[in-house]
Amino acid sequence: MLKHQLQLAWYYFQQEYSQPHQKLLRWVQAILMIFIVTLTLSSNTIQHYLQGNLQNLLGADAVLTQKNKLTTKQLTLLENFSDKVVNTSQINTTLTFNGKWQSAKLKAVGNDYPLQGQLLTSTSLQSPAIVTNGGPLAGNIWLDSRLLASLTLSIGDVIKLGEQTFIVSKVLIHEPDRLMEGHNVAMRALVNKSDMKKLAFPADLIQHRYLISASKSQVQQLIDWQQEQLPAAHINHKLGAHPLALFWQRTENFLGLASIILFFMAAIAIEQIAQVHLKKEQYFSAICMSLGASKATGLQLSLFKWLINIVVLIPVVALLSGVFHWLVVSWLSETFAEITWQLELWLTAKTIATSVLLFAVFHSPVWLTLCQTSVSKLFHQNHKSMSLGLVKLCALLVLVLVAVNYSDNGLLTLMLVSSILITIILIVAISWVVLTLGEKTTQQFSGLVPFTFFMMKQRLLSKSTQILGIGLSTFLLLFTLMFLKDLGNTMGAYQRTHDGNVMVSQASQVEMNAIKKWSKEYDINLRQAKPYVYAKVVKINNQALNKFTTKPSDSLATLSHSIRLHWTQDIPKTNSLVQGTWWKKDAEKWQQISLEEEVMTDLGLDLGDTLTFIINQQSYTFTITASHVYKPGSGSIIFWVQMPQTAIQHINAPHYNMASLELNDDQWPLLGQLWQKHPTIRMVSLQELTKQFDAILAMVTKVISGFAVMIILLAIIVILSSINALEGKEKKKNSVIMSFGFLKKTCLQLNIIEWLITALIIAIGAIAGTYITGMLIYQSQFSLPYQPDFLILFITLTIILSTVTLLGIYASRHSLKSSVKQLMADN
Amino acid sequence: MPCSIELKSVSQSFENISSASIASKVNASTITLFENLDLSIHQGQSYAITGPSGAGKSSLLMLLSGLEKPTSGQGTYLNDKQINDNHSSSLDNLRSEIGFIFQQFHLLPELTALHNIALPLKLRGDKQAIKKAKHWLEKVGLSDRANHKPSQLSGGEQQRVAIARALVFSPKFIFADEPTGNLDQHNANEIADILFACCKENNAGLIIVTHSSDLASKAQNIYCLANGELTKTSSTNSVNKQQDEEKQVASC
Ligand SMILES: Nc1ncnc2c1ncn2[C@@H]1O[C@H](COP(=O)(O)OP(=O)(O)O)[C@@H](O)[C@H]1O
Ligand SMILES: [Mg+2]
Repeated sequence: MLKHQLQLAWYYFQQEYSQPHQKLLRWVQAILMIFIVTLTLSSNTIQHYLQGNLQNLLGADAVLTQKNKLTTKQLTLLENFSDKVVNTSQINTTLTFNGKWQSAKLKAVGNDYPLQGQLLTSTSLQSPAIVTNGGPLAGNIWLDSRLLASLTLSIGDVIKLGEQTFIVSKVLIHEPDRLMEGHNVAMRALVNKSDMKKLAFPADLIQHRYLISASKSQVQQLIDWQQEQLPAAHINHKLGAHPLALFWQRTENFLGLASIILFFMAAIAIEQIAQVHLKKEQYFSAICMSLGASKATGLQLSLFKWLINIVVLIPVVALLSGVFHWLVVSWLSETFAEITWQLELWLTAKTIATSVLLFAVFHSPVWLTLCQTSVSKLFHQNHKSMSLGLVKLCALLVLVLVAVNYSDNGLLTLMLVSSILITIILIVAISWVVLTLGEKTTQQFSGLVPFTFFMMKQRLLSKSTQILGIGLSTFLLLFTLMFLKDLGNTMGAYQRTHDGNVMVSQASQVEMNAIKKWSKEYDINLRQAKPYVYAKVVKINNQALNKFTTKPSDSLATLSHSIRLHWTQDIPKTNSLVQGTWWKKDAEKWQQISLEEEVMTDLGLDLGDTLTFIINQQSYTFTITASHVYKPGSGSIIFWVQMPQTAIQHINAPHYNMASLELNDDQWPLLGQLWQKHPTIRMVSLQELTKQFDAILAMVTKVISGFAVMIILLAIIVILSSINALEGKEKKKNSVIMSFGFLKKTCLQLNIIEWLITALIIAIGAIAGTYITGMLIYQSQFSLPYQPDFLILFITLTIILSTVTLLGIYASRHSLKSSVKQLMADN
Repeated sequence: MPCSIELKSVSQSFENISSASIASKVNASTITLFENLDLSIHQGQSYAITGPSGAGKSSLLMLLSGLEKPTSGQGTYLNDKQINDNHSSSLDNLRSEIGFIFQQFHLLPELTALHNIALPLKLRGDKQAIKKAKHWLEKVGLSDRANHKPSQLSGGEQQRVAIARALVFSPKFIFADEPTGNLDQHNANEIADILFACCKENNAGLIIVTHSSDLASKAQNIYCLANGELTKTSSTNSVNKQQDEEKQVASC
């Protein structure tokens, strides 16, 4: 029986193969599937690539830092929250060689280092960097090039550290977990874990760092656990406020958002096409039933036909999307050599299955109608039944579930879905208001405009699906474009304000002037320059520092050395105020400071507490009046302690500067010139880091433009299919109007007016929807302030709408090819 | 002075290019529906055209209405004004003076009966549209169904609405292509009576294509189109001759 039905379905499938409605459905389904599959594959590749690269910059999903070594029990617990833990320890120490000395950060790692990303070393200062697995062997030390230079060491030299001797065996070029440590410009040295034990440094000076690979939820668990069990420890993680972490989160969310938007566009297109199918399938079913088949048979045939239709498409879709994916990858690999194409069978299958499910859901009203109808009903004009609306609602629900399940950011999906729902309601309300008002106000005039209002109002129900379809895709398109623009700007701002690729950590006033002159002369971009004096905390609330607190902490360790005390009138762009009040301009009371929030909490300080500093052998006491925190997006030079500008008149001490510079490739050789004249300028090159970062930015920009093109294409498909859905009705309307003695020209005019009114409704709906969505999503999901630029919004909308109108008029030219004669021949 | 439509020795033929013969135009066959056909239609009179399916009746209606051009020969429209000026004009000027009634009714499904009737008036910017439409709805006996959608009306009722819609803007000629083809005998009779009465009252020329001899016999002039020939079978509206006419209609 089943075989027979399948044969029959196959037969009818072949019969209907070249009919316009089947052709259209096939095209739309094929294009959508190819789109979705290609996009999923591509964004998967991109995501992997970005992940790999960001891992190279971050080195771990989370880093736990603590003064003390974790106990075995704590370590076991930690391992429960993670996939892998790698332990490193570090200490600030001073290396000496041939009477020269240089302070440096000494890090001890094992064979399991690095956890994520690549450790790069080289065998001499000139040779290229190579990827290295595992740290130095016992008895070896790897030094960064600055350290080698400042101690005039070369590979193979032996240096002494405490009682131990070490062979300098490699140049340390890149440690992947460095950025997560914060913006540290200390010189660096790497030794084996076992040597660190032998060196027997005082335990309270060693900092223990645990690099952790963990999922998002595990990281969250980890944070909770740390706050409860290890309040003195510190966690850095990918989801945190680190600028790169934010960048990564934005990129990830963007890819998610884009796929959800594509999903919805696809759904709208299918929904519109299903309307055409409803009639055809009903007619087909009626024929079956009138030939004596049961209702179930008609339904089964329809189902099988649909299935065959899809199954026939799948190989084509799989093949083509594979090819397109390959094209996308090879396009990207021109810039990003590491990207490679891979056959992703499982992902392809999963995506195709999801799409098919989606298509089925949106085709279901057709089958439901077949279920409900009887022969007699079939031959009458179809009634709008309530249950059909119910099915569509269910379909929407299923779609939402699929989308939530498909994307890994449920909240973002829900927000987008709610804004889509709000926009639907808005568009429906706006259509009703505009048409009612339009009809009422134009009633006393004669002409085509009042007539169009009248007609549209009368046909509100059938028109509203078209308006909704086009309105929603316009809204999604507008939102995507605006969002892409804003995101692009922010990403661009990263590029403009990220740290620069040379950091100056200490330059005297004379040296700073030389840097300024030098950068001006060679047109080098000096991004930031900030002055400071060295200060050492000796007393807190009139108590000696070591008496004030016995709890060991990072902050305490830092405060026990000299710190950089910055003076500024206004709150710096890289900071935001979290507590207290910032001093007024020209503050008379100059003995006030703002302290970084983390230091405040670490030491248990409050507003009103006092700190006594020794600055250039003189003692000064300051009151804490404010607390600041790092704000990403405008550079990375920040200070733990800041005082009013007026204070500097009262303090006699040498001034130093921190600065950041951006050098392009040709300008690097000029750096030597500067250094030669001023050898005591302390500088770090971040070229390696910024190069990677710039590459990622370029990639994201490319991807973003690619997405824009795809979404525009999809929107065009949606609009065309929604026009096609109404084509039959339009044709009839035009013929009837011509039978009243009107010319084709009148029909065209009516058509244009109708499209203009439609465009007006859509414009209001899309603007409102975009505004609401922006409010919902920008801040919470992308940490972007929502400041819509209405001029650009309107310009974009005008372009979209004129395109929609032209496209609409162009696509309805078919319905203008109607004639009275067709009404005579029509059955 | 009544207007009239005249067709003088018109021929209509179609190039029938089947898909198989697109490549070789040699195979393109020409279907000729009729040649050298003469016919004149006067306002205020009724005409019936009968004949087998495919004879070209609908095509003839298209020529008469000026919506299509004949392959050869020409159609002219004699307007009262133009007769005074001794001028006849092409059928293009006829456009706004004609109404159509179809076998499939072709009401717009989204509009109520009343709004369907008001449609042509609204399009012309007539502010009395609804009032006039109500009047016509009454005339066809459907004043209680004003707010019903076509899907809620029976076939006969839909056709009555269609008649009202065709006549509401007072066209000079009404072309009806098998208006009762979709209706049962009882409804067909009623529709026919309404149609003839309304056209008479409006002084509109009625050209009706039909298979029904009953319906044809109600017309003042009866033609039969078969094998490319148009023959006049009767030109009386006398009820007494109905039997005769029926025979003639049946034989053509
Ligand atoms: N535009 C056209 N192109 C080709 N053939 C046509 C066209 N219009 C009508 N015909 C053919 O002319 C013949 C007569 O059609 P029609 O006038 O509808 O006949 P009737 O109304 O008498 O049944 C049919 O065979 C039809 O296929
Ligand atoms: Mg016909």
